[in-house]
Amino acid sequence: MVCNMTVTKVVEIPLVTTEVPIGPQHPALHEPLLLKVYADGEEVVKVEVNTGYNHRGVEKLCEKNTFYRDIFIAGRVCGICNTVHANCYVRALEYLLDIKPNNRARYLRVLAMELERIHSHMIINAIMAEIVGFETLFMQIMLDRERVMKAKEILTGNRVLGDYMMIGGVRRDIDEVKRARIRDLLVKLKPRIEFYKKVFEEDETIIKRLVEVGLLKPVDVTSHSLVGPVARGSGVRIDSRASDKYDAYDEIPFNVITRTEGDSWARMMVRWDETLEALNMCLYILEKLPADGNPVPDEKRLPRVIPQGESYARVEAQRGELTYYVMSDGKSTYPYRVKIRTPSFNNIINSAFMYVGLSLADVPVALTSLDPCISCMERVIVIDLEKNTKYKLTLKELAGGRV
Amino acid sequence: MSSKRDLFSKYAVKVDLVKPKRTVFIIRPENVRPLFKDLIEQHGYESFYISTIVGTDLPGEGKIRLDYYVVLLPEEETIVVRTYLDRNNPVIDTLVDIVPGVFNGECETHDLLGIFFRGNPYLKRGFFVSLDIAEKGIYPLRKDSGV
Repeated sequence: MVCNMTVTKVVEIPLVTTEVPIGPQHPALHEPLLLKVYADGEEVVKVEVNTGYNHRGVEKLCEKNTFYRDIFIAGRVCGICNTVHANCYVRALEYLLDIKPNNRARYLRVLAMELERIHSHMIINAIMAEIVGFETLFMQIMLDRERVMKAKEILTGNRVLGDYMMIGGVRRDIDEVKRARIRDLLVKLKPRIEFYKKVFEEDETIIKRLVEVGLLKPVDVTSHSLVGPVARGSGVRIDSRASDKYDAYDEIPFNVITRTEGDSWARMMVRWDETLEALNMCLYILEKLPADGNPVPDEKRLPRVIPQGESYARVEAQRGELTYYVMSDGKSTYPYRVKIRTPSFNNIINSAFMYVGLSLADVPVALTSLDPCISCMERVIVIDLEKNTKYKLTLKELAGGRV
Repeated sequence: MSSKRDLFSKYAVKVDLVKPKRTVFIIRPENVRPLFKDLIEQHGYESFYISTIVGTDLPGEGKIRLDYYVVLLPEEETIVVRTYLDRNNPVIDTLVDIVPGVFNGECETHDLLGIFFRGNPYLKRGFFVSLDIAEKGIYPLRKDSGV
């Protein structure tokens, strides 16, 4: 029999699609999030991001607590970037109150936030080293990161949760001894950061695993609302420190780091360069710290009722633009509405398109370059479309090449 | 080609301010989608991004206020597109097919406040809210939700 049909298009349908659930609970996962990765062989064909595992209702909680208690709630939205959260919320209140802290307080705020940027960028670079199998580098970076944690402890009184921000200023001042100790820690840290940056620039394994993985074009960045080092790694210059010039960012010199490669490597290199910039900013602050009065406001004299109105504050957190919207009805000591938009909310949920076409092994690298962290999969579910059946594989079976 | 701000002014029925100096363009709900379509056609995707969507329940007025915080690039100026929806039937056309960056904001606002974004196929309860609350039909950020 002769077939007269002409083939105009060939559609390749994968016979077996593997669903690889990454998360929501995973030893190397920063945030409880589920990435459902669908793979055709080794190639990722689709990714779904499932959320809701850690929704604590913080916005509602803020409505049920006073403006002042909310400063401490905001600081607990995230451990790694707690001072930027508190700073953003406090500035939103200051906009409503028309209060401006003195210069010393503004400089100290920037010092706390930039110390936080240093340790946050160090930890994600360390995790990236671990993800690509370079565990020694992970250990080394984490060891050096302790210097920043110590510096933050000297400044705020705590290594992690600083609770440093207050309306009209900060909650602790520093004396000459503390200034010298923080400076000493940072001066010792600087050559280590330069060394790690060089490792990321030159190490063959890191380059092979990161370069051209998870490419993002500038148009993808803006259309999907991606922010922070993810945007800057694709050449999109978004940095609210430079545009909004809040606190002392209008006086402290710094460069906005951008790169044009748009891959995972570029995003990590942006972070290393920003770490060095942050370190230089901290040293500048410690040298030029103004002495125009007490940076610690008298909390008992601060107004309890915030005037009626709305404000919207932006801060450049380590992971990108973080925003707080605060609305006060002017009648009570409770906010009418608080809306928090974290950078990961955009960067992680809106970036599912980025993984398509990657190999499975590159998924953790691409995800980590966005600054959560997921290492490897624990198990997979195999969906056989021909037989319409599902079965699960353990990691051992997978390692044995059963797929 | 009009400037970006002119485009927003064209659709605005009123202009307001959110501190500090964020211009608010209040527009009708049916004009939100045409506004962003014009913005993309005239200035391209790289001229802005939608930073966040803020929904606020205003039971006294019988409305839900919906704010799109837009960052204009490269000047990085934040402006607000504000619209009001009927609280009993809060429906607005989706932007997700023309601006994929609103995916998270629309899903969240739907889950927490019950706004229905017409044409968004990804809307679901349980995006953030735990399923036991979602199954009862409760929208936690509504003032009368009892949460």
